[in-house]
Amino acid sequence: MLKDITFGQYFDSESVIHKADPRIKIVLLIFVIVFIFLSKNFWGLGLSALFILITMLVSKIPLKMYFKNLKAILPILIFTSIINIFYGEGDVLFSIFGKLDVTVGGLERAGFMALRIMLLIIASSTLTYATTPNDLTDGIESLLSPLRFIGLKTAVHTLAMMMTIALRFIPTLVEEAEKIMNAQKARGADLESGNLKEKIKALIPILIPLLFSAVRRAAELADAMECRCYNSGEGKTRMKQLKLHFRDFSITAITLIFGAGVILLNIFM
Amino acid sequence: MSNIIEIKNVTYNYTEDEVEYTAVNNVSLDIKRGSFTVILGHNGSGKSTLAKMMNGLNKPTVGDIFVDGINTKDEETELLIKRKVGMVFQNPDNQLVASIVEEDVAFGPENLGLEPKLIRQRVDEALESVGMLEFKNSTPHHLSGGQKQRIAIAGMIAMRPECLILDEPTAMLDPKGRAEIITTIEHLNKQGMTVVLITHYMEEAQNADRVLVMNDGKFIADGTPKEIFKNVSMLKSVGLDVPQTTELLYALNQNGISVPTDVLSIEETANAIAAFLEEK
Amino acid sequence: MSVLKVQGLSHTYGGNTPFYSDAVSNVSFTVEQGEMIGIIGHTGSGKSTLVQHLNGILKPTEGEIFIDGENIWEKPKEIRKIRSKVGLVFQYPEYQLFEETVYADIAFGPKNMGLSGDELKKRVLDTCRLIGVKDEYLEKSPFDLSGGEKRRVAIAGVMAMRPKIIVFDEPTAGLDPKGRQDIIKIINDYRTAFNATVIIISHSMEDMAVMADKLLVLSKGEVVMFDDTEKVFAQGDRLRSIGLNVPIVTRVFDALRQRGIDLPQDVFTVSRAVEVLKQIKAGDRNA
Repeated sequence: MLKDITFGQYFDSESVIHKADPRIKIVLLIFVIVFIFLSKNFWGLGLSALFILITMLVSKIPLKMYFKNLKAILPILIFTSIINIFYGEGDVLFSIFGKLDVTVGGLERAGFMALRIMLLIIASSTLTYATTPNDLTDGIESLLSPLRFIGLKTAVHTLAMMMTIALRFIPTLVEEAEKIMNAQKARGADLESGNLKEKIKALIPILIPLLFSAVRRAAELADAMECRCYNSGEGKTRMKQLKLHFRDFSITAITLIFGAGVILLNIFM
Repeated sequence: MSNIIEIKNVTYNYTEDEVEYTAVNNVSLDIKRGSFTVILGHNGSGKSTLAKMMNGLNKPTVGDIFVDGINTKDEETELLIKRKVGMVFQNPDNQLVASIVEEDVAFGPENLGLEPKLIRQRVDEALESVGMLEFKNSTPHHLSGGQKQRIAIAGMIAMRPECLILDEPTAMLDPKGRAEIITTIEHLNKQGMTVVLITHYMEEAQNADRVLVMNDGKFIADGTPKEIFKNVSMLKSVGLDVPQTTELLYALNQNGISVPTDVLSIEETANAIAAFLEEK
Repeated sequence: MSVLKVQGLSHTYGGNTPFYSDAVSNVSFTVEQGEMIGIIGHTGSGKSTLVQHLNGILKPTEGEIFIDGENIWEKPKEIRKIRSKVGLVFQYPEYQLFEETVYADIAFGPKNMGLSGDELKKRVLDTCRLIGVKDEYLEKSPFDLSGGEKRRVAIAGVMAMRPKIIVFDEPTAGLDPKGRQDIIKIINDYRTAFNATVIIISHSMEDMAVMADKLLVLSKGEVVMFDDTEKVFAQGDRLRSIGLNVPIVTRVFDALRQRGIDLPQDVFTVSRAVEVLKQIKAGDRNA
């Protein structure tokens, strides 16, 4: 169902990761992604995996939620693994067509790459599962705010406003799309069968009304925003101020320690 | 000054497909502070265009509108006028900007650049006054039409306007939602808010101080609810929604049973008919 | 044989979408050809969910729907065929217009049914004539019409499929009185012309009193009453207990009876009320 995507990624639970400041979570995710890429051997990657496993458990998000995301990238995972199998060095285990050599190094490399991609997906999922879209928007706006010093103030604000409005209207438009789809089905439209070209053609009766509706909504929203004294963010304040707590520092410290561990393992193992 | 809005000989023209139309035609009107004014008119009578001129969203082609003594044509005070005159539209979905109720209500005060603490206080007060405080952490998408419209009203109240204009706020709602909105509006007016309600439902005007009927860009009637409702045939002729009580009393008169037609409630209607039956 | 028979219909929405709780449970009723049925109930009582089953947009979680005695889900692959028998006009149908011209938009449904050439043209023109879409509109863009005209065209698009059952979800919502009367008229015209069965969801008890032969009352997804309109409106207390009410004119007569005035109980429309009071007046004169 179309509706499923709109309830999106956020999964409510009362974990410390949920409560943490969104800015910290975004920065730390970037940091974690960096140390996953820095891991040169299985030791370093193993430590990264351990760290991510701990965050998964702490976040109290059901494991099946992660599997859902992993399943979505399964084709990419398989594709990268297969490519990597043939690019290894070392003892040849067997050959396909007498030309493509499968080596121990290749297998290792494939496993390494697959694990790395999986860790990236899981780490990012933890952020989106444990942070409401609104918090994410606030976090991104706050993190980008230094850009105002180089004359990009309006740009930062506009981006944040666009994200806020998108979050607000995606569910409305998805519901509307579903309604229009049902209405055209009621007029005998065939949305299921036919080849690709016919299927695309069958979308026109849905996309055109949806487009008109979005334009109409946009015009009305613009009027309503003007009535609420919207002035491109000029002199705007925020009701909710992001504040750092003790837990945010603790989380940062723990993440940094693991990061240091990964680097040490890279050097010594 | 006792008038919050003064409309002086205002005309509004617009061009569509190179043809010029007149939506509002030489209209004058004063809105008294603290009053509850209802403008009745069918779709296309010019009432929405007039509403949008009262807070400077549209500018008159001819004539002037003053809000608290300030001309709406003055570009430098544009924000000030919007702050003084709040506006609520028909479609509740298309007025809400944030996906959490309290953040949406905070949008106006945030734009005004108020202190975070003050915004918090105003948001809570505004939600309280429309009876939606318990939903402050909800998502608007999951609320009913009437609830969403109350959030839109709260979003305006949080800016502390001196006057609230509502442009057909009940047109897209079910009977329950309509009742919610009318109760909310009447409550706000009792607390001192100046209210201008634009609608085509006659019964929504029954507690107003003053009712104006608009047709073809002009006011064709102006008076108290009773004075206006007496003239049922005029109301019907301009395509207005007449409640069934009025419909009944009107039909009785048409059939030679003379009963007063200026009552609206079920009790009053029953009284009028009982009086006729006793006469016999 | 009944034209429509709904038996033990239940529909529950998927587990993790608690906000779409507009479910229905164990709904059964039958409708005869040519009847006009009103469906009344609160927002969220399951009205919209119920009607979307009648033409197979939604599939029942449990229960069956029979059109002309045939189970519509007998062959799931042929569900589209049912849509030319049961037309469904959604709320605010004008938002589904998409073609470049009014003609093309009205032709969309019949074309999907397989009509073409002269037959298609005749079908579109006949429908326009029946419900008063003017010839000069046919080559216009539907987006250039007024709100009321757009809705008329959207309804024509469903009527052009000549369904023997036609279902409307709040067909007059958001219209002014003139627009409402126009829509009610075209619904009646279609019904008369084809002896069609009409099912209408409405919030207006006053409109239902004038239009509907029978009323189906829904509350929390269940059928509370299904009976002749007069019999349903005679049970005011029961309606009020689920947050509905009788027509305003009936409430006026209830108030009069409470004052001890002897009046008949079957007054649900203004015309009936006038008739009753006129009789009393004439009776007094004769006495």
